[in-house]
Amino acid sequence: MGLQANEYSYPWLAEGEVPPLPRDRDRIHIISQGVADPVFDYDIIPLTYTESRWMAYVVRADISSMKAVVPEPIEVQDDVIEFWYVIHRNTMLGPYMEMGVTFSATVDSGDGQIYKAGYYPYMYLSNDSPIFAGKEPFGFPKKAAYIAGFEHGTNNNYFNHLMERRGYILHTANGRYSDKPLSTRPTFYGKTDWGRMNYRITTRPDVSNSIHEVTYLPSDLPPGFGTGHRFQLNPESIRTATGGDIRSWYMSGTPFDFMGGQIPATEVVGLISFTFNLIIPPALTIWSKTVERGDDDLGQILYSTPFKYTMRHRFLLPQYSQG
Amino acid sequence: MPSHLNVPTKYWELTKEVPPPPIERDIKSWIIANPSDPLWDIDVLPLTYTDSRWSAFVVRVDEGTRQRLCPNPPLEVWDGENADLVEFWYVDHKNTMLGPYLEFGVTISATYKDPRGNVYKAGYYPYMYLTGDAPVDAGRVLGFPKKMSYIRCTVHGGEKGTDFFGFAMSRNGYLMHSATGQFDDKQVTPPHFYGKVDWGKFNMKVITRPDVSSSEWQLTYLPSELPAIFNVKGHRFQIKPEHTRTASGDAINWFMQATPFDNMGAELKVQEVTGLISFVFDLIIPPANVLWTETYERPASYRGYATPYKYGLRQQFPISQGS
Repeated sequence: MGLQANEYSYPWLAEGEVPPLPRDRDRIHIISQGVADPVFDYDIIPLTYTESRWMAYVVRADISSMKAVVPEPIEVQDDVIEFWYVIHRNTMLGPYMEMGVTFSATVDSGDGQIYKAGYYPYMYLSNDSPIFAGKEPFGFPKKAAYIAGFEHGTNNNYFNHLMERRGYILHTANGRYSDKPLSTRPTFYGKTDWGRMNYRITTRPDVSNSIHEVTYLPSDLPPGFGTGHRFQLNPESIRTATGGDIRSWYMSGTPFDFMGGQIPATEVVGLISFTFNLIIPPALTIWSKTVERGDDDLGQILYSTPFKYTMRHRFLLPQYSQG
Repeated sequence: MPSHLNVPTKYWELTKEVPPPPIERDIKSWIIANPSDPLWDIDVLPLTYTDSRWSAFVVRVDEGTRQRLCPNPPLEVWDGENADLVEFWYVDHKNTMLGPYLEFGVTISATYKDPRGNVYKAGYYPYMYLTGDAPVDAGRVLGFPKKMSYIRCTVHGGEKGTDFFGFAMSRNGYLMHSATGQFDDKQVTPPHFYGKVDWGKFNMKVITRPDVSSSEWQLTYLPSELPAIFNVKGHRFQIKPEHTRTASGDAINWFMQATPFDNMGAELKVQEVTGLISFVFDLIIPPANVLWTETYERPASYRGYATPYKYGLRQQFPISQGS
């Protein structure tokens, strides 16, 4: 008993494998907290991805349901939804799994410009750094979940996806590629004049106000990276499946995650998979609004009863598996 | 024929335990994005905890190390009684408004003097890790430096059923810390701030603009006495003394190391592990005051540390499926 050791060495620094320790830098090189060891650091900039595998179900939903989950000033354009999984193998944030939903949408920024973009109402990831690197500066609506997504079998003909959070299955689907064309695709596919939009909310630590912003990521490659779309597809990697090829599909709302209850699919049109490289540039803020709270407003944000725990506070003890 | 099933259960329409999504409520009640289904919501507030078990190693750390980990400006390290005792703690949270989770942190005694001469005294957190996504994000809104990691907390066995302990934490495949041992219930001197209502908690929040043009640092302060609205007298950590156990340094086996992803084991130079104090408590976390802010601007030409499409040591680790 009483055997103790502390290994203080940090050999990767001398070999140039890691950036200088945060406390040895100018403060402009700290982009997130904690300031002694940020959850995402400046060695993610510029944020690039290589040979990620995107597997996007194309589904339709009731457009009134879609509009009901989208805040002002974002306008939904059609009922075609991209419902996608990604295996990110090489990224500045390390490897991770991701799932998201993208609506075709527009925003009138009030200065005569209409922005067209894919808007994300739901996103889930397997790792912490990409969650907070997406959520905090840009407003991506990321949560953590268990995500499995893969292709296997002869010629990788079969695919399977599964997502679970807090003991409830949010979604699963599997099937076989036929490489037949889909009857429709999301409007924004391949178009450089359609970017990506997020709705960011930054609340003061004292809850006295919240700043609401619509952030916009253009799809043109940023300066110095050439021309074209910042999603650089490998066309030889594309596989497709029609709705009839998707052997099974299950989606459900849960007490913790409302997606299945809010936008149930009315039609599963098919699946489009491809391999791509990507760069994520800084985002523009195209709309903002500050909502102030006075003492009289605090009542409506204190929904719970102190020390009384309900259905939403009861679930299996989470064990972050990236241990 | 394929089987496609959507179960569009809207739990918030079945029970008042689940609040409706923000998009269906007054905008003043939206705390974080996304308004369709945020990572955590108003049923987290007021944020209370019941029967958590806190297990705090008390470690001796020299002044130079403590100064390095407490950002100046605006903080000064405490130079009074037991200034060199730092809290190195694990918590098993069983019942909270954010659900159950495991947590780890380091707390250093520090002070801040505002321009009017008021001196705030508090424990400052340079490092924190948790197993759940919602408590990480809810904490980060208040400025806590939270990351996710794999954490184990075990207190078990012996005549009292709580005689032995084992703690461990790892992230991205590297062990960061582990300690094991047996409680001997010998006297352990706690850090200076223990039990004092005039000592609160400090955090340094960093808010980066979506275009990365600037980052605002905010020193936030959580008082230990609660506002009158909570109707609780005394310290907001309400300890249940009958569950307290202690272990002397001789009863503790200890190992700590830095990793390429987490520098705590290199930065936190531990001179001595003086003991372990473990107790059960209830807790309320109120909103935080912002005591100090400073904004750091970046030039338009700013580039981070990474080389596009070149992935190094910090971007390579086993892929996670999430938890």
